[in-house]
Amino acid sequence: MRVVDVAHGRSGDKGDTCNVGLVAYDDAGYDVLLREVTEERVAAHYGDLVKGTVTRYELPGIKALNFVLTGALDGGGTLSLRSDHLGKVMYAWLLRMEIGDPSNAGVS
Amino acid sequence: MRGRTVRLGAGMAFWGDSVRPAIEMVERGEIDYLCCDHLAELTMSILAKQRARNPEHGHTRDILDLLRGALPMCVEKGVKVVSNSGGANPRAAAERVLELCKELGLSGIRIGVVTGDDIESEIDVLMADGVSFANLDTGAELETVRSKLTHAAVYTGCEGIVEALRLGADVVICGRVTDIALYLGPLVHEFGWPLDDWVRLGMATVVAHAIECGGQATGGLYAGDWAGVEGLETLGYPIAEVSDDGTAVLTKTPGSGGRVDIGTVSEQLVYEILDPGRYLTADVTADFTQVRLEEIGPDQVRITGGTGRARPETLKVNMGYRAGFIGEAQFTYTWPDAWAKAQRGIEFLKRRLDRAGFVHGDEIVEYIGHTSMWGDRVPPPTDPETPEIVVRYAARCPDAEQARKVFTESVPLYNNGPAGVAGVGTRPPVKELYAIWPCLIPRERVVQSVEMLEA
Repeated sequence: MRVVDVAHGRSGDKGDTCNVGLVAYDDAGYDVLLREVTEERVAAHYGDLVKGTVTRYELPGIKALNFVLTGALDGGGTLSLRSDHLGKVMYAWLLRMEIGDPSNAGVS
Repeated sequence: MRGRTVRLGAGMAFWGDSVRPAIEMVERGEIDYLCCDHLAELTMSILAKQRARNPEHGHTRDILDLLRGALPMCVEKGVKVVSNSGGANPRAAAERVLELCKELGLSGIRIGVVTGDDIESEIDVLMADGVSFANLDTGAELETVRSKLTHAAVYTGCEGIVEALRLGADVVICGRVTDIALYLGPLVHEFGWPLDDWVRLGMATVVAHAIECGGQATGGLYAGDWAGVEGLETLGYPIAEVSDDGTAVLTKTPGSGGRVDIGTVSEQLVYEILDPGRYLTADVTADFTQVRLEEIGPDQVRITGGTGRARPETLKVNMGYRAGFIGEAQFTYTWPDAWAKAQRGIEFLKRRLDRAGFVHGDEIVEYIGHTSMWGDRVPPPTDPETPEIVVRYAARCPDAEQARKVFTESVPLYNNGPAGVAGVGTRPPVKELYAIWPCLIPRERVVQSVEMLEA
């Protein structure tokens, strides 16, 4: 199972920080997100794409998690050399993460 | 005020956004206010540069395209327009709007100009008074970039807008007010909320956040059921029908494309937020954590559960500074051996750049279609059967002359490099870089002022 099977998402920029929001399709999906999509596993999944820290926040009323990734945009939208300088598709990488088996926490 | 609700329409989400949805919203959306955000982080640097070249420039000209189409109807229907299109030069923007009113034959239009966000000329005085302007992210001293500053703009709150509306403005033109203030201003004016009613201001901030990016709340960029969203070409922009307690029903222009449901709104609620329990704005510290959505009809979502606490004692300042240029080149290698040829092509480019005395900072190589979005998380296209590989090389350069070398030294790839190359392309414009210097200023050192002009 991957995150995409239980949630959709969106990402954007604040300077060199990228935030990735995940929204579960239902309550069961939100439970899966809470249990499986931890800060540690998200950090491992992004690897070198995130130079700083990963912090998770919860919005239970809309079944959403928000991940704040610092040092994730090569200096920020106005400086970045990356094609995705605003982090618009960073969410999709998280949707690809395998969940349900901790041994899959790395690159997928 | 109409009844017990105020209808706010999100007219524009960025400089260059289509003006058509805003015009249709005035036509058919039964809105009271058209709230238009034209400014992103980078926009202020660009506008400041334009103002430096010509003192009449420095505002986003799309406000004129918008008002040309919408203002006659706004006047007829009593819809007021609140916009931060003033950018680095709100007064000049208002003058252009006055000229437009004359051209359209509209008279008696009151234009409120809200300023006070531009503190560039006061930096010395403020620093002498002990405001450090140290970088919020790095702690570095402003002195390190002072000579390269392009502008210094405070994210100001809704008070100036409230005052302009109290004075009878039909159109409010601001500089760098927060996106949220464009929405809170009309609500505070209409409902008479005290400026320390943190619960209402916090709830209304959640509502404003949900709609301030226009089509992103109505099916645009929707990652859930993206293929099921109909009418993206005629996407309707969102409307919030706000009650006196700050809660709202979100909808969109009748007869437009897209959709408003729990999915589309939820996704936008988590867009560009940090700690949802501490969403800092100039007017309130909003709390999104308990926000709830309920579908109450077709394209109708009730939003509740937001709250707030006291506003921060400091305001955020974004200064911009010149940070060099990007030099960039792109070319495509084809089968057979596309990967090996691409490697040789990159080597060719780098060696030629070395011989040309290329001075640069960080550089990047992306294989578009493979690694340009998620970098080395994705394996590079090394399979010898790969039909084609698009190579993008970019480097940060100290000046435009160095940046141009990237293109000029890539051109010989056409005749002198490995076979199977195409798409070297024409000379791209050299892109100047602006860095953002985020810092803080004590709230009491920032005073908004309002000037009224009349057409």
